[in-house]
Amino acid sequence: MPAIETDGLTRRFGDLTAVDALNLTVEEGEVFGFLGPNGAGKSTTINMLLGFLKPSEGTATVLGHDASGQSRAVRQRTGLLPEGFELYENLTGREHVVSAIRTKNADDDPDHLIERVGLEPEAARRRAGGYSKGMTQRLALAVALVGNPDLLILDEPSSGLDPKGAKLLREIVHEEADRGATVFFSSHILGQVEQVCDRVGIMNKGEMVAVDTIDALRDQMGAESLVEAEVAGSPDTEAVAGLDGVRAVTVDGSHVEIACTQPAAKMPALRALDDAATVTDIAVEDADLEALFERYTGDDTGSSEPSDGAGQAPDAVAATGGGDA
Amino acid sequence: MSVLTVARDDFTNARRSYAVLGVVGVLTAIVALIFVSEIGVYDDPYRTLFDVSFFLFLVFPIVLAPLTYLAIAGDRDGGAIKYAMGLPNSRAEYVFGKLLSRLGVTLAAVVLAVGVGFLVALATFVNAPDVLMFATFAGVSLLFAFAFVGIYVGISALTASRSRAMLGVFGAYFVLVPFWFGFLPVISLTALLGTAADLLGTDLSQNTVQFVQALSPATAYLYSTEIVYQSVLPNPAYQGMTATFTEVPDEIYRKFWFNAVVMFAWGAVSMLVGYLSFRRSELG
Repeated sequence: MPAIETDGLTRRFGDLTAVDALNLTVEEGEVFGFLGPNGAGKSTTINMLLGFLKPSEGTATVLGHDASGQSRAVRQRTGLLPEGFELYENLTGREHVVSAIRTKNADDDPDHLIERVGLEPEAARRRAGGYSKGMTQRLALAVALVGNPDLLILDEPSSGLDPKGAKLLREIVHEEADRGATVFFSSHILGQVEQVCDRVGIMNKGEMVAVDTIDALRDQMGAESLVEAEVAGSPDTEAVAGLDGVRAVTVDGSHVEIACTQPAAKMPALRALDDAATVTDIAVEDADLEALFERYTGDDTGSSEPSDGAGQAPDAVAATGGGDA
Repeated sequence: MSVLTVARDDFTNARRSYAVLGVVGVLTAIVALIFVSEIGVYDDPYRTLFDVSFFLFLVFPIVLAPLTYLAIAGDRDGGAIKYAMGLPNSRAEYVFGKLLSRLGVTLAAVVLAVGVGFLVALATFVNAPDVLMFATFAGVSLLFAFAFVGIYVGISALTASRSRAMLGVFGAYFVLVPFWFGFLPVISLTALLGTAADLLGTDLSQNTVQFVQALSPATAYLYSTEIVYQSVLPNPAYQGMTATFTEVPDEIYRKFWFNAVVMFAWGAVSMLVGYLSFRRSELG
């Protein structure tokens, strides 16, 4: 049984279609990255999964329960770190955790959870009204972890976290996944999900434009690396261009760009270039998922969105510059 | 029982709020002040209770407004509702937990205000205050408070923003207290009823007008306090008070049970309407 399954899930607000016929399956035990820019419909989707919003059309099934009809059963087994929320300002952090334990009939030790998310015990005994964004996020994570939930829904969990906090978050996601929990990790920043997720889905304008593993998405990029070099004089690059794994060489004055389709081609290409000219500086840029993400979610003028394309490769790779030189 | 967890959290949150403490403190101070200012005027503390009941009739619904109107709308406006409803609380548990907590705050306010009034009376009045009479007064005032807490928390459940909840609460106050009772000379329910009757070419009997007036929880409260003074009236020393409570028509709207039902119904029906709306409302 999948942890999350949506079938034609649609939500309209007046004329705006926030989520458009979403078909999404998240398997039990997987860490799923839910990506998309702000306003892509991620939070609306999450709000429907939790029964906060009703779908205009379609259904969502979470942990085997209908999301709008059996929302309480869903929430009993789900840990939520919501986006854009507030705590009760006059309750301490610890009191929030204790209430969550009580509400879920769980038997967690609140102090253990607080320690796990890296919140200082003294801070946990202060009123939450004085918390920074990062402390609020940590506390909400502790609340989400109450009762060893089968599903963790984390909506922009890293916002407000310092690098140390972000690292801790990744560790906790790994620990929870090892325990067997499903993690649904929503973010508008690819870098945050790249390191923890088995699969990612990219939302844009209410539609899922790509769903795949990180590796497969990398393959879609052609795994192309770009070697950039500064050279003295104008080199003859024919020898470089003839190497295996080199797709194109671009020369612009003293600036040379070598596009390699295989990582192993980079060194031979550099050596060949060094033979042909005096290299003064180099830089290497690896295949960039960020570019792919932007490709799926950016506003390409003129061209239409990658249509229904779950798994469909983009028709051109954005990272190559002037390959026809 | 997560309704109790919701209520406990909300109560703790309110108990530590300076705004809540301030409002309860002001109410208590004013009631104490009424007693203090009448130390030399009346011998019997119950005569001062009668004045307190007028003050409560007019002002208590205003005092209750800041204690209640954000109960649910504030959570929705600020986002705390995502914490509460992200946990496995049902909508009913959330709404009625909030109601329970705000009733608790109100109970504390009434007990404190009447208790302090009792102590002032005990220390300073010629005749000692009667515990049973003060307790009955507190009970009737609580029923009155239940009506308005129910109405206000119900309105809070109907609205998703602070500003709308505030408008709704003050609108309800205006309609139910000054307008319905006829406090304002021009704009009042009785004036409207009179005009309507004129247009229809009929006359409204005084009884009908009073019956309609008694359907407001505030008027019902004034009428219901009669039960407090049953054992001591008539008293020739207090002409006005005697007239208010003894020379009354033997009609249904002057029966305590009827007034109690009116107050209870306002609170209960408002909460029910608020809950039914909230149950279907969208969060987020």
